[in-house]
Amino acid sequence: MTADPAARQRRPSWIEQRTRMGPVINAAMHVRVPMSAKTMYFGGIAMFLFVIQAVTGTLLSLYYKPTPEAAYKSVQLITSDVNFGWLIRSIHHWAANLMILFVVLHLARVFMQAAYKYPRELTWVVGALLFMVTLGFGFTGYLLPWDQRAYWATVVGTEIAGSVPFVGETLLLMLRGGADVTGETMGRFFGIHVLVLPLSLAGLLGLHMILVHQLGLANPKRPEPRVPTKEFEEEPLRPFFPHYIVDELVAWYVLLAVLVVLVSVFPAGLEEQANPLQTPAHIKPEWYYLGVYELLKLVPRIIGILTPIVGIGLLVMWPFLDRRPEVRMRRRKLAVGGFSLIGIALVALTVWGYVS
Amino acid sequence: MESELAPQPDAPEGPPAEERVVVHPPEDPSPAGDDGQGSRTTGRRRFMRYLGGFALVSTGAMILTPIIGFLVPSKSGAASGGGKQLVGTTADIPPGAGKVVALGSKPAIVVNTEQGVKAYSAICTHLGCVVTYNDMIGAIQCPCHDGHFNPTTGAVVSGPPPSPLPAITVSVEGDQIFLTEA
Amino acid sequence: MSPDPSLKQTPEMTTKTRSSKRMTRTARIAATLGLTVFAWLGIALTASAEDPSASASAAPSAEVTPAPSLAPTPSHPVIPTPGPSDDGWLFATSEPSFGPPAATAPPLPSMPVHTAANGANSCYDCHSAVNDKQATIAAQWKDSAHGKGGIGCADCHGGDPTSDQITKAMDPAAGFSKAPDRQGTVGLCGSCHANPTEMKASGLPTDQYAKYWTSVHGQRLVSAGDTRVAICSDCHGVHDIKKVSDPSAKTFALNIPKLCAGCHADAQRMAPYGIPTDQFDVYSKSVHGVALLENKDVRAPSCVGCHGSHDAQPPTSTTVVEVCGKCHTATQDLYGQSRHSELSAAAPKCWTCHGTHDVSQPSSAMFFHDTPPNYTCDTCHDLTTHKLRLELSRFAKAEDRRCDTCHHPDSEIYAQIQGIATAITGAETAYADADAAIERAAGFGMLTDDADVALVGAKTSLIQAQAAIHTTKLKTVAELSADARQKAGDAQALAQSKIDESVFRREAMVIVIGLILACVVFLYMLKRKLDKELD
Repeated sequence: MTADPAARQRRPSWIEQRTRMGPVINAAMHVRVPMSAKTMYFGGIAMFLFVIQAVTGTLLSLYYKPTPEAAYKSVQLITSDVNFGWLIRSIHHWAANLMILFVVLHLARVFMQAAYKYPRELTWVVGALLFMVTLGFGFTGYLLPWDQRAYWATVVGTEIAGSVPFVGETLLLMLRGGADVTGETMGRFFGIHVLVLPLSLAGLLGLHMILVHQLGLANPKRPEPRVPTKEFEEEPLRPFFPHYIVDELVAWYVLLAVLVVLVSVFPAGLEEQANPLQTPAHIKPEWYYLGVYELLKLVPRIIGILTPIVGIGLLVMWPFLDRRPEVRMRRRKLAVGGFSLIGIALVALTVWGYVS
Repeated sequence: MESELAPQPDAPEGPPAEERVVVHPPEDPSPAGDDGQGSRTTGRRRFMRYLGGFALVSTGAMILTPIIGFLVPSKSGAASGGGKQLVGTTADIPPGAGKVVALGSKPAIVVNTEQGVKAYSAICTHLGCVVTYNDMIGAIQCPCHDGHFNPTTGAVVSGPPPSPLPAITVSVEGDQIFLTEA
Repeated sequence: MSPDPSLKQTPEMTTKTRSSKRMTRTARIAATLGLTVFAWLGIALTASAEDPSASASAAPSAEVTPAPSLAPTPSHPVIPTPGPSDDGWLFATSEPSFGPPAATAPPLPSMPVHTAANGANSCYDCHSAVNDKQATIAAQWKDSAHGKGGIGCADCHGGDPTSDQITKAMDPAAGFSKAPDRQGTVGLCGSCHANPTEMKASGLPTDQYAKYWTSVHGQRLVSAGDTRVAICSDCHGVHDIKKVSDPSAKTFALNIPKLCAGCHADAQRMAPYGIPTDQFDVYSKSVHGVALLENKDVRAPSCVGCHGSHDAQPPTSTTVVEVCGKCHTATQDLYGQSRHSELSAAAPKCWTCHGTHDVSQPSSAMFFHDTPPNYTCDTCHDLTTHKLRLELSRFAKAEDRRCDTCHHPDSEIYAQIQGIATAITGAETAYADADAAIERAAGFGMLTDDADVALVGAKTSLIQAQAAIHTTKLKTVAELSADARQKAGDAQALAQSKIDESVFRREAMVIVIGLILACVVFLYMLKRKLDKELD
């Protein structure tokens, strides 16, 4: 700490002279965090997991070969022979599952704390889009190992997509790159998984972060006034950097440990190679689609197809449907109750899908 | 770290939030360590510093080691799907002779016939025994139940095998014999 | 009867006359009856040796003789008395054995005579229009091998195929005769098909006629006049004869079992002969039956593969060894090296252990019973001659086809069998263990190419060891088993090293956990410090 702050400003650093990013970075490092805002770490972990996925995914793409003839063997090679290949692959597998889980948890937390209300409606919309992109990652990435489970889950999944009214047929053709799941499908899914979705997610995430930064974190105890009140202006804040960041970092490291444990105890497996001529006895989609899959089995097909579509529509538009300013949970019993009910139903359906 | 958070009254602008950040600056530790908790605090700070450095280094190592290791090609990186594998030379397998070699995870039989070098899967289509080449009778023979295969076509000549031996693509470059894994 | 008053009878004369008259009458009745019976029997025995159609060979027309009526009714045929045989019957029931043919083959009739056809076939022209039944027959003939080969109606039935007048066309003087009787049919078919000159153009064999008379069917037809046995037309058809290579033919390889079962699985039909009728059912579940009937593998043996077709006989000990060995050449060679093959009366043959119609996949369960059976002297020895012999009835049930059905647990040979059994089961276990290890390694995502190659080598040795059981030589089996065990051990070791590698990699991650914990501790301490500053 120099004695003369003015002197310090007169001599900017070498990099500051050549980038003039000082104020930008300064602004970026300060997010409005009310003292009463307590993070549950979900959103940060989701972002951290995306970074992990981007890194491990890039590494995997250096060895993976996206053709039906070579894909399976390349995955075996990565798992068996490439140095740390087993680690990178298993991390990619588990981080994918955890990312979806934490995005859902983040969504639930935001919903429960009504952090989607004014002025954060757009943040929520972008977040809903992020959620869908994450699910898209799961769907496209699942096919890539080209084993029996991957192949047939994709067949079933694209079939379901094909039964959407009006656009179903076209959707199926576009997804599969033809009438059946072939190397064409793999090519499309690989391109989408490795380029389209990562770029989309990065863009959407950047937007999401900018919005969060600009709007600051929501106060779970009271709604944000449309016109800043004195109370609002004077509420105590917490420093984003380093207090909040260090807090999040602890969670990130703990998550890393959890990932390592999962990778060691439950390494990513591989079934036998995909055989389009032999349908296995039980085809089930991965857990994040299992609830909807079970729903389809229970209700008439059209209802089963339209329910998730309507549900997603509701999800995206929710801040514009629920305009009441109340943020406390006990004052929003209908919303909280409804959301919990849907959540419990989905979990129950998923569990049932597992045991049946 | 503490200095960055202390309010800077002379700063012309700063984010408004900064002014309302409530921070209690910690007591300045005297270099001589003569305040009541001096020695413990200094030791603690040093410990924190070391731990911090250790954490930083170990994090870097944890992340970089697998990444760099991953990028280094492994020894068995060869022939991962669609590659050619050298199995021998025409000196090893002269005309009229045959030899069983390993191709990936399966045995293959290479026979130097009058119509050139031919190769087939060496797994008998009857019960899976490994066939051999019988140069006395000039046929591929299975030792288990005496199945015979034509070395030029892989077709069944006699015995219980129900179908011919699947052919494997052979390419001969110079005197080197390459087999292409299916 | 009232005494004739004209006859002066003294009392003793009357008595004597009466009794002598009575005796004479009884004697007369007895004598007449006896002579009749003897004559009946005598004619029956001699008449059955004759072939009525043989006498017609000189006649220009085909015979239309009724069935030999002097023979006893066919429903109770006379069965030749069983001769002593040390080979027994395959089904271990009290059935007679058949030695060389009792009756000689009847001489070959000459071909039916008819007016030269010169391309005409008025028979077909009329018969295809006369009524439905005849139209069907006509259509069948046209589609048949004969019809396509230019063999017309008149070639079998005689007559005049150029005339469209029924009296001329079907004139016995022109050689016409209707369908011949059962035995006559055989002769009719044979008149062409056993004639080498006639068959030269089509290249068909000409031994069927001669062979047929050696078969059980032919023997019964000629010696017992049993017309219920199969004749040419029963299997090949009458007007719808097709080539054996034609998949729609009754005699096509895949259709043979059903063809034979048509009679032989009919309990009512087979009742007088006392032979089992379950062969088709048993066969269709066997390895051969499944291969032929379900997998449509025409190389699999059907009834005719072992029994013969035209010379169909139950294979006896001297013939069945060659039958199995026709296809199972390698096993045949191995058996030839064994002690079993050196025996005569006590030798177990292929079917002793593997069954006949019920051949199934062998396994190491075939060595021993779960509990040893009862042994008596006559288990192995003939009680009269005291010589060693094999009683087939002991092997009738599949669960009795074991080595220890003959070999007593206290014998030296039993110890050898135990050695063989241990060697084989040891190799099989080693193979299974190696296979399981490779699967486990693959489940971890490890590549197991080298282990796979070694395993295939182990399998080869294992199968060779199992085949070598037929040599009954412990040394051979032990060597091959040891080789299989060693190769399986190599494969397992390679797979295990992959598994160990996978486990090591993952266990090593505990170091990373430690490092992360250190970081977490540091960060937590830092966080506490920062939070303290805040309030």
